[in-house]
Amino acid sequence: MKFLRQFAAVVTVVAVVVLLGLAWNRFAPRLPGEGPGGEAVPVQGNMVKALPHAGKLSSGAGPGAHGVLRINGGGALGLDLGDLLQPENLAVLRYTAELEAVIIAAVVIVNASYRSLRRSRRSKTSVPPPRDTDLS
Amino acid sequence: MSAPSTTPSPVTTPRRARVAGRTKLDFWFDAVILLAYTVAYSYGFTGVVIHEWLGIGIGIALLLHLTLHWDWVIRTTRRLFDPRGHDRVIWLVNLALLFAMTLCVASGIAISRVALPELGITTLQTPFWLRLHVLTAEVTVGLVPVHVALRWRWIAGVGRRVLVWRPRGRSR
Repeated sequence: MKFLRQFAAVVTVVAVVVLLGLAWNRFAPRLPGEGPGGEAVPVQGNMVKALPHAGKLSSGAGPGAHGVLRINGGGALGLDLGDLLQPENLAVLRYTAELEAVIIAAVVIVNASYRSLRRSRRSKTSVPPPRDTDLS
Repeated sequence: MSAPSTTPSPVTTPRRARVAGRTKLDFWFDAVILLAYTVAYSYGFTGVVIHEWLGIGIGIALLLHLTLHWDWVIRTTRRLFDPRGHDRVIWLVNLALLFAMTLCVASGIAISRVALPELGITTLQTPFWLRLHVLTAEVTVGLVPVHVALRWRWIAGVGRRVLVWRPRGRSR
């Protein structure tokens, strides 16, 4: 019951965000750093308008998420799973994984340094009072 | 089945903290989402069909992920302005990620060329949604690793206990 209640709350929040997106489209359909109309890219005979990560198509395995893009005729049954194992396409996946790994490493280093700095500061400020060694 | 006399003594048997079922679920579920996101983002690797179906799956998984952590969301939001409150940075990153990921999935659904037409649903295919999808995808690929890395201590702690191979009979 609790799960359903929380799930309903999550769906509501997500719906609000989607509505904000729809309002953005309705009242100010402009995005930062983009010209009007989007980019048109021909891909193996198909015209694809500014597909995500398909801005630059190269014959080889270019860096980034860009790379060889094969578009099937359509339909879930038209899955060409053989393409997934193409070495040039694997380079795209490797690039994404490397990008994520670099960001994770950077944040972990910054976070760990910040924590150790804070710990050392705290230990400096909380110096215990000098012991009274005079036992007489 | 086990009599009290046969129960191993906590002194003689090395004790190791067991990973709670819920913690295991969080760990593996989050790992799968991260892996799926990495694959789905690599559009040149997956092609359009897998990219779209995986994106829809990630959308559903994110609803579940958020539901599983809804208690944290409420707790942290309440303590946001408390001077002793923690997790402010994580809260802000998560909020930005919520917006970016939701808009990314929503815009992806709006511009779907295979998955939704396959189900008989007509999509919008307007330049706004195309550009929004690209923009939010670029934002999420920056925020997802930050979201993961800010919890590196939890991941390292749980990962060590979940992934380390334990010989049978040594613990429990």
